[in-house]
This record gives sequence, C-alpha cells and structure tokens, in this order.
Amino acid sequence: MGAQFLFIFLPYISVGVFLVGILYRFWRWGKTPVPLRIVTTPAPKTRLGVAWRLAGDALWFPNLFKADKLLWAGGFLLHALLWLVILRHLRFFLYPVPEWVRAVQTLGLYAGYLIPLPLAFLLARRLLIDRALYISILGDYFALLLLLSITVSGVLLEVFFRTYVVDVKALIIGLIHFQPQVPDAHWLFVLHFLLVMALLIYFPFGKLMHSGGFFLSPTRNQRANFQERFINPWDFPVSYNALNLSSAEKYRQALEEIGERAKR
Amino acid sequence: MRGLVPIPEIRIGASKHQVCHRAKGKDMAKIDLPKQRLENWKEAMLQKMAEVLERYRSVRLFLDICVKCEACADKCQFFLGTGDPKNMPVARADLFRKVYKRYFTLGGKIWGRANEAEELDETVLQEWVTYFYQCSECRRCAVFCPYGIDTAEITMAAREIMAAAGVATKYVTEVVAKVYDTGNNLGIWPAAWKDNCAFLEQDLKDTEGLDVKFPVDAVGAEVLLIPPSADNFVNTDTMIGYAKMFHAAGISWTTSTYCNEGGNFGLFLNYANLKKANNRIIGAARQLKVKKIYWGE
Repeated sequence: MGAQFLFIFLPYISVGVFLVGILYRFWRWGKTPVPLRIVTTPAPKTRLGVAWRLAGDALWFPNLFKADKLLWAGGFLLHALLWLVILRHLRFFLYPVPEWVRAVQTLGLYAGYLIPLPLAFLLARRLLIDRALYISILGDYFALLLLLSITVSGVLLEVFFRTYVVDVKALIIGLIHFQPQVPDAHWLFVLHFLLVMALLIYFPFGKLMHSGGFFLSPTRNQRANFQERFINPWDFPVSYNALNLSSAEKYRQALEEIGERAKR
Repeated sequence: MRGLVPIPEIRIGASKHQVCHRAKGKDMAKIDLPKQRLENWKEAMLQKMAEVLERYRSVRLFLDICVKCEACADKCQFFLGTGDPKNMPVARADLFRKVYKRYFTLGGKIWGRANEAEELDETVLQEWVTYFYQCSECRRCAVFCPYGIDTAEITMAAREIMAAAGVATKYVTEVVAKVYDTGNNLGIWPAAWKDNCAFLEQDLKDTEGLDVKFPVDAVGAEVLLIPPSADNFVNTDTMIGYAKMFHAAGISWTTSTYCNEGGNFGLFLNYANLKKANNRIIGAARQLKVKKIYWGE
C-alpha cells in the first residue's frame, strides 16, 4: 500500500498541484491590470524587441551581471546546469529516445556532478554576507537544501547505488500512459523520487515561481512606445479645482494693487 | 562613482529615528485624505491594500517573485548612506511583503512567522512610515534586479495605503495642497507670480535694454509654458532664457497662474493626487486656449 501510494498516487497528486498551481499563479497575475507604463530603460520599441529582451534576460541574466559578477557566475552556472540535467532526464519520459536527448547524456551527467558547487556557493553566500543573511527566510534555505538533496541523491544513484534504469523508465512511462506499475526500487531511489515530488508540490507556492512570473514583469515586458496612448483600465475621473482654476479672478484685487504700486 | 562608495556593514536600526513630520490636518483635508490617522486605520489599510493588489500587477508580482538574491541591496543610496538593513530595497519591500503574506497568501496564513508573515500592528506601521519615506523612488534597484523588480512601485503602493488611513508626511501633503491653492509647489501666489514677471521684464529692460515680455494668463497665446516654479523664484536666469528664446523665435507664449509647475508631488502620495495635479496642465491649456504646451521638469 505504501509503495502504491508513493509510486502511483503521489506522482499524480504532485504533478496536479504543480500544473494547477502554476496556472493559478499565472491567471492571478495575468488578470491584474498594469495601470501605468513603468518600463525600465533602455527599453525596446517593438514587440519583437521585447521578446528578444525577455529571452536575453531569461538566458543569461544581464541585470544580475551588471549588479554582482560573482553572484551572476553562481546563478548562471546553477541555471545552466539545471537545464542540462533536466534535458538528460528526458530520456526517462520519451520513447523512443530522440537523437538530441542521446547527445546531451554525457553533458547532463557532468552537469549533475557539478550542480552541488553553485548550490553550495549560493548557500554559503546567504550565510556569510551579512546583508544576505539579514534578508534570508526559511523558504530561501528550504529551496536551496531541497535542490541540494535532490542532486546529491541523484549523483549517488548514478555513481554508487546504480539503479536499474529500465525499471525507472517503465515506472515513468507507465505513469504517463495511465498504466502505472510499482517497481522494486532501492531506498535511495525512493528518496530521490520523493524529493522531486516535494519540489513539484512546493514549486507553485514559493519563490521558485520567479522562473515564469518574470515574463509578466511590467518593467521588463513593456515597450517604450511613448507616442501611443497608454490606457489605464481602472482609471477614474478627478475633479478640476474650479476655485483655483479661476485664480486670476480670485486674486484680481491683489493683482490690481500690484499694478497700482508699480505705477507709483 | 565606481569603487568610491564602500558598502557599509549593516547596522540594525541606524536610521529608524529619521522619521518625517506628520501631515497637518488642514493640508490633508485639502487633498481629499482623512485629516488624521483613522480610528480603524488597520482595517482601512488592509482594505486599501486589497484594492492596490487588484489594481497593480507590478505590486503583486514583485512581492511574489523576489528570490532575495541580494543583488539590489548595495545599490540603494539610502542603504549605502545609512547602513540600516531595512533600507536595502529587498528589505524595504519585505516590510510590505510580510503584511501581504499574513493577510493575502495561503503560505503566510499557514506558516505565519516562519514564512515571514506578520500582523499589521503599530510597530509595523511605524516601520512603514519610517522606511517607505526613506525611499526616493529613483528605481535604481529595478535596473539591477534580474526580474526588474521595482521597489519604487512597492513604496508608492505603501504610501497610497497609508494615505488612505490618514497617515502621510508634512512635506509631501503640504506641497500637494499648495499646488491646488496656488498652482505651484513653492506656494507662489498668482499675484506674486505676476509681480515677478513684471520685475524680470523691467530688469531686462534696465540691464540689457531688451523689450522682452513675460506674459501671464494671456488667453489665446500659441504656447503655454509650464516651467518648474523655482525658475520664477530663484533660478530666474532660466526664466529669462525662456522669454528670450520665445522672443527671438517670435512665438506668442504665456504662463498660467493656475498651473505654473510641472513637478508633481502626487507621485509621492497617491494616484488620485498624482492625476489631479497633472490634470491642471490640461485645465490651464483649455482655460487659456493655447495650441501647444511646453513642459519643463
């Protein structure tokens, strides 16, 4: 029963939470209007330019590069290695395995070996820099430690406690085709699997949503087309200050006095 | 300036005593805000916060996606100057975020303080008043944030929320009230404005022998000039420059005593006053039936 829960129900629950959670977050942000144009310069003028800028931001973090070179190196390395590891894992999800997934297998393996480095760097940074320590909350450590334990267990599975990957693939393909079967797995694989499920469930709730939410960031995805009128959807009329509008009349007496004084 | 400003060690509470003066009731009344802090300020603030979160994607998104990478921390001049950790842009946003988490997110309701969620109470309000008025809304942090998180948006939202509950500072409210009273931030009354212009006309005639006009409230001029009001008060050389330029170009122009200031302190207070102060420009243009608006500042 425990194994059934772990390998059949939990995966569906966590993927469900993951997908519904992400859709909810995007819907929540998406339906909130952007009342003013607050794009940061230098800003692109066309939609294509915006796409180019967002792609650049997502791929190599130019703002972070401007801000802090060492942090950029750590962050960039982490994200690049994570991509490679995810691509490597595609071999468990696709049948037959495409040629390009085969091609990144070795690269993905070394990426997996290296991932603990940037993670440890980011963790050490949080603890050693007084400013970072001051702002860090439980969620920040949790995300780092979760990723760290996932990668360490994954590397151990590859190096010391080699898992029979055909069983793993059968498990995942079975889940995808809604014909799940419970494999006979090593405890370390169970741990690795469990941690990934935890990551999927945590993902939509915490700061990891920066990955998708960033694309909706108005300071990055707006255009600098200031010649076009920007409409605020919830704009409301404000009254003119009628009393002050006719200030020339209001202060006519004072003005006349000045005129007379100037004549004298 | 690169390399010249050392990053200070954090000193907790270093600038917590630098609190702005409280707004005066008479100014608050002039700008459609509660005269003093409401009895039910907490409810009023939370209600306004819900409204702001529904109206500004920027605020909700920025509160949600910050990963606290600390890239912005040493970019804020207020942090560099004071060393107070709450002046780091991320920590400034955290003041807002902890209240947002407590009342508007599931994680904050469940995990509470472990997820940095905090009740809105007197202490938090005091921090808001202190630190959200130690931000100049310069948006430097947004330039360095990998997600473009703009703490100025959070600051503006916080000030809007506080203003709705009758909490604001003297400087900002006084200036906005002055704009409605006199047409400009400095509080130059229409008569004084006219007098200044007459003085500059005379001065120019005496010193340079030029017959240059400084029209005020001239209906039907081609151009309405909206200068910074200081140009007719302290930086008069600039004002003379405008007049000479218009004179040489042969363009008929005027200033307005209804709107003789382009700088808008509504930006530092709330949306309604921001819009109202800006609307004066259109109002003045319609009143004087000009064709163009030249807008300094």
